[in-house]
Amino acid sequence: MKLYAHCLIEDLDAFDTSTRGISGAAVRLLQIDELAVLVTDFNADTVAVTRENALDHASVVRSVLDRTTPLPFRFGTLVTEQQLRSYISARKPALQTRFAHVRGCVEMSVKIIREVSEDKAEARDEITSGTSFLEEKRRELLGSEQKTIEASEIRTWLHDHVDGLIRDEQVTTRPSEKLVLAAAHLVERAKIPQYKERMAAARKNRPELHFLFSGPWPPYSFANIELEFKTQFGVS
Amino acid sequence: MEFSPENPLTAEPEIETAHAEEFVEQLRCVTDTLPSRINIDAKSVEEGLAKLVLTLIEFIRRLLEKQAVRRMEGGDLSPEQIEELGLALMKLEGKLQELKTQFGLSDEDLNLDLGPIGRLI
Amino acid sequence: MSSSFDQIIVSEEWESSELSLLETLDHVLNRGLVIAGEITISVADIDLIFIGLNVLVSSVETAHEVLRKR
Repeated sequence: MKLYAHCLIEDLDAFDTSTRGISGAAVRLLQIDELAVLVTDFNADTVAVTRENALDHASVVRSVLDRTTPLPFRFGTLVTEQQLRSYISARKPALQTRFAHVRGCVEMSVKIIREVSEDKAEARDEITSGTSFLEEKRRELLGSEQKTIEASEIRTWLHDHVDGLIRDEQVTTRPSEKLVLAAAHLVERAKIPQYKERMAAARKNRPELHFLFSGPWPPYSFANIELEFKTQFGVS
Repeated sequence: MEFSPENPLTAEPEIETAHAEEFVEQLRCVTDTLPSRINIDAKSVEEGLAKLVLTLIEFIRRLLEKQAVRRMEGGDLSPEQIEELGLALMKLEGKLQELKTQFGLSDEDLNLDLGPIGRLI
Repeated sequence: MSSSFDQIIVSEEWESSELSLLETLDHVLNRGLVIAGEITISVADIDLIFIGLNVLVSSVETAHEVLRKR
């Protein structure tokens, strides 16, 4: 029998027994040492990426957020009880560190769209020589270098706006795309109103950019300990 | 209990944007890279490998192009060398195009998402 | 490539709920604690993390079983 693991919590009192999980199954607490995992029994071998399953997963993890800050498992974590026990005992110190890092916080998201100029494809059928081929590539590259500079600038600008207000950030930039930046900010709960004000001001500051704000979320982007593990030991 | 009642969290995460359509369009691209199921017949496994291999080759090919342009700009290549280099890369691009067609893969198919690092290409 | 979300109804009036679904998916997929770490394939310093591979971790295992039997 497999279990679907939703999240890991350190405050066992935060759990509400009436919570429903994936496929409407009852969620229960699996205690492992002083921590606990919110699990449901799961009958199949695969977890389909459907609206229902994604929302069920999210709402289970969300259900404890009022009382404690959980470490969410990645969607689709199907394991046996034994695997969970091994995983947790083997990584206890790293998990404790993670809990300490996210304790009292939530995740707030920022996504930014900016218009990109289309690279004009020069008349391709005129490129017959190796030299003009390379020259065309050079033109394309100059365009993308510019976009990379723009993306970095937006990243720095955003960081400067939240500096001091956030405990941590995870930022991805995609210079050649419209959705140029996606950021997750780890914010102490008490600072949320201030954070929101800061974001509202930031948005006014850059009318040429389109913003999407969402939150509060459980700390999905800050839960994974493997990232930490990799930076320390260079393991891939 | 950790949290003060002055800062209750909303029931659901709030989403705030003036550009819902645009963001829907962009976010759909992210989720579209998910396979809906893994097909385990031989042909599908083969296509999966082809995709991986071609993506890596495409990645390297683009690096080579960048390097070639830098060398060209650096001024240490003769006109003949530039022409040779350009022709070779042009052929490589053409060959990749053929392979993509052979396997029925589009440019979007060859764009692996590397998570925190962003898309491969 | 067809969309994986056959069960999602896409129409104008559902746009804001589609947005909230997409935002939710962006958070729950590809983030969070990973138990099946061995699915990561690395080339030099680049991790080729296939989105959804952990989601389908069980079906990948099943695929391996089937291929072994052949």
